[in-house]
Amino acid sequence: MPSSATGRKGARGARPLFGGNALAWLGLIPFFLFAFAFMILPAGNILIGSFQNREGAFTLANFQNLLRPNIVKSYLVTIRLSIVTALIGGCFGLLMAYAIILGGLPKPIRSFLSTFSGVASNFAGVPLAFAFIATLGRVGLVTALLKTLFGFDIYDKGFSLYSFWGLAFTYIYFQIPLMILIISPAIDGMKKEWREASENLGATAIQYWFHVGIPVLAPSLLAAFILLFGNAFGAYATAYSLTGGLINLVPILIGAQIRGDVLHDPNLGYALAFGMVIIMGLSIIAYSWVQKIASRWMK
Amino acid sequence: MKRFGVFILSALIMLTLGSGVFAQSKDLIAAAQKEGQLTVIALPHDWVNYGEMIETFSRKYGIKVNELNPDGSSGEEIEAIKANKGNTGPQAPDVIDVGLSFGPQAKADKLIVPYKVATWDSIPADVKDKDGYWYGDYYGALAFEVNSDIIKNVPKDWSDLLKPEYKGKVALAGDPRTANQAVMTVVAASLAMGAKTPADVNPGLQFFDKLNKAGNFVPIIAVPGTVASGETPITIRWDYNALSNRDKSAGNPNIAVVIPAKGVIAGVYIQAISAYAPHPNAAKLWMEFLYSDEGQLIWLKGYGHPVRFNDMAKRKVIPADLAAKLPPAEAYANIVFPSLAEQDTAKTAIAANWDKVVSVEVMKK
Amino acid sequence: MKNIKRTALSWLVLLLGLLYFMLPLVATFLFSLKGKKGVLSFVAYEHVFADPQFLKTFFFSFQMSIYTVVAGLALIIPTTIWVHLKVPKAKPVIEIFALMPFVIPPIILAFGLIRSYSRPPLALVTTPALLVAGYVIIAFPYIYRSIDAGLRAMDLRALTEAGMSLGAGWFSLLFRVVLPNLRTAILAAIFLTFATVIGELTLAVLLAWPAFGPYMALVGRDLAYEPAALAILSFAMTWGSIGLIQALSRGKARPGTVVAPGLAVMAEETKPTTTRSTTNGLP
Repeated sequence: MPSSATGRKGARGARPLFGGNALAWLGLIPFFLFAFAFMILPAGNILIGSFQNREGAFTLANFQNLLRPNIVKSYLVTIRLSIVTALIGGCFGLLMAYAIILGGLPKPIRSFLSTFSGVASNFAGVPLAFAFIATLGRVGLVTALLKTLFGFDIYDKGFSLYSFWGLAFTYIYFQIPLMILIISPAIDGMKKEWREASENLGATAIQYWFHVGIPVLAPSLLAAFILLFGNAFGAYATAYSLTGGLINLVPILIGAQIRGDVLHDPNLGYALAFGMVIIMGLSIIAYSWVQKIASRWMK
Repeated sequence: MKRFGVFILSALIMLTLGSGVFAQSKDLIAAAQKEGQLTVIALPHDWVNYGEMIETFSRKYGIKVNELNPDGSSGEEIEAIKANKGNTGPQAPDVIDVGLSFGPQAKADKLIVPYKVATWDSIPADVKDKDGYWYGDYYGALAFEVNSDIIKNVPKDWSDLLKPEYKGKVALAGDPRTANQAVMTVVAASLAMGAKTPADVNPGLQFFDKLNKAGNFVPIIAVPGTVASGETPITIRWDYNALSNRDKSAGNPNIAVVIPAKGVIAGVYIQAISAYAPHPNAAKLWMEFLYSDEGQLIWLKGYGHPVRFNDMAKRKVIPADLAAKLPPAEAYANIVFPSLAEQDTAKTAIAANWDKVVSVEVMKK
Repeated sequence: MKNIKRTALSWLVLLLGLLYFMLPLVATFLFSLKGKKGVLSFVAYEHVFADPQFLKTFFFSFQMSIYTVVAGLALIIPTTIWVHLKVPKAKPVIEIFALMPFVIPPIILAFGLIRSYSRPPLALVTTPALLVAGYVIIAFPYIYRSIDAGLRAMDLRALTEAGMSLGAGWFSLLFRVVLPNLRTAILAAIFLTFATVIGELTLAVLLAWPAFGPYMALVGRDLAYEPAALAILSFAMTWGSIGLIQALSRGKARPGTVVAPGLAVMAEETKPTTTRSTTNGLP
């Protein structure tokens, strides 16, 4: 729970301006109304449809089907892909954001990279898949260069773009920019003077990070991580174009059931989507719990 | 007097029940023009020349054609009808063009309504619903689309694809668990590998297993870009699409279209009118147009075999130059039309077993 | 010494990143030049520009992006500020809402919107407003996260209390104190929303609007070299649009500074110590 009323070591005093009372919740009505009208209500089908069969009668069969081994596997693969790309994208994005903001690089680079990140964060789906096929596919640019310049055929050595790691490598193309954009405000808030002060006091870089840098960034890092996780979790166009269904991701399965020509069991699709909602909900709970622990640690 | 009246009445009834009312009659045209719009779905312009079909219809009758989701699949068309049940806006489709196997289910789900076009009788019986709910419009056979700039030795048959010279070169044009075209590819391979009926897909799955283990299979969905770049220089798709791609490429790259020697599978698509069509008369007029000689020939121009092909050939209304553009008739001599039941069995079996054959676990040799 | 080491490392990171980001674009660009056999030519680009649908759909999506940005910011900035200041307990609820759009498949959202809003009295399905509403939902996670990060980085409570004690009204506070400090965050939110809407595919297709995403998908399935040209062009045009937004906002305060001078002094003084404790207030 937010310790807004107690435990704040601040110059300003411990209580929020008006307390979190019921009247204040009214201020959130426009938001909740909008979210209900355009998100909850339309998505209600997820809930309703997953409990129905084709004729509309109530059934739990869809959820039973979720326990099939290939579906369980697809959830695991999707979660694994999302975590991996969130971590890699998050770490490298953090490094890049730090480099361009506090790393002593010329100022124009920051605005260049911000703009680039804005564009690249949504360069996903078919164009991205094709771009990577054109780069690292069997006849891709880099593949061909390595072959002609170094006699090194990466496909002979076992590499394939059409694999879990190939897909992950492609995903981080939009994860890193997202991280850069999201973490920049937090890094902005880290003042240069702190670093200089800590160096003057004799702290090493590692000590600075451990005692000042990471604690300050931690909440934003966690929030960014879960955003990146969600971003990857729901993505499918890139995976579909790159691996043609080779890798079973849940969004691809959902697409196959709802819009596919072959299987066409929309109710199973809804149940799959419901499963994703549950997993996302659990992730949020986990995230809140970690946030709480982290904030306690920082006191 | 009464008998005469009955005679006149029954004559009138017979006149109206004759082809008069259901043909492209003035009444139907007027009613359709009053509606002013037709909403179609999932009709790419270069898919059996739908571009020309739509444009000709629109110009001829002055009816605006609203095109939804050209990239859509048959499944999406059905979902679009369901989702737009109360909606008379432009998102609701009037007519659908879906795979054969979607007909009976759509009829059972009450998503389509019957309408027998004027040329009903010349549509072969095995590709139409006897009550007129849906009927075949065109068909094609699965063909190899080969980038002949990169592949000098063009494969002629399914067994050729297993040769080591095609390592890393063969891809499907879809995912067999979601796309009709890809499912039929597995069925065609199955027939070529000795299956007795289209329902037996095991030889086909084994073929792809072999193709995969040999390293010839590239697990991405082939699109014109990947065929041109050489990432997927050999792919398998409907002949009308392959031929149309060949024409569009205009030599850059050169594309060879080969109907395989064995395992020639026909894919039939069907037309139907949505039960919730906002413009039912425009829909009926569209059907009449499609099944008229004029409409059928437009499809033929797009390399699709119109469903009334045999009837039109018998009546000698097919221009010779058009007939010459199609691949030679001998290539289609052994064409197989899978029945609805066979298609259903095949689909289920492939969907269930595909990832045992080709999946990330399998790829990690 | 340490500075040089840090700068060198920053350059290394930057170059690695740029290599990773540029190579696929270069590969796409090179492929797009192969429209004519044997030579490098821009004929694929000529085809794209010759198609009237290209600019038409891009401008449509551009318009929708602007509406989405305006509607999204107007809804979410006040809400997030309100939550930070007055109803911190609502934060977990908002967080859940802010992550839900990721797990609602766009196809389900689209069909759901059609089903709910195709009948009177709420027959919104024929107006672009429904599309914009859908886009706001899709962009919501990014907008919220940006604004939230921005608010976290500034001590909102301190600033507002200081402002009020200086006699500023709510309006003044919002526009002269809070928003300028949120500049980085707001820009990030705008960029992300913009990019999301320009390329969005499913909602536009199913709600039957002539948007850029469906146009790109259509070209992709039909032609060989034009999709690559289109990808490069859409990258460039999105870049241009975002650059434009960035340039237009350059007139205002630079990030990290506060407009009202009196507040600036107080904010600077209190920032280091209070920033740490702000993080304690989070759920």
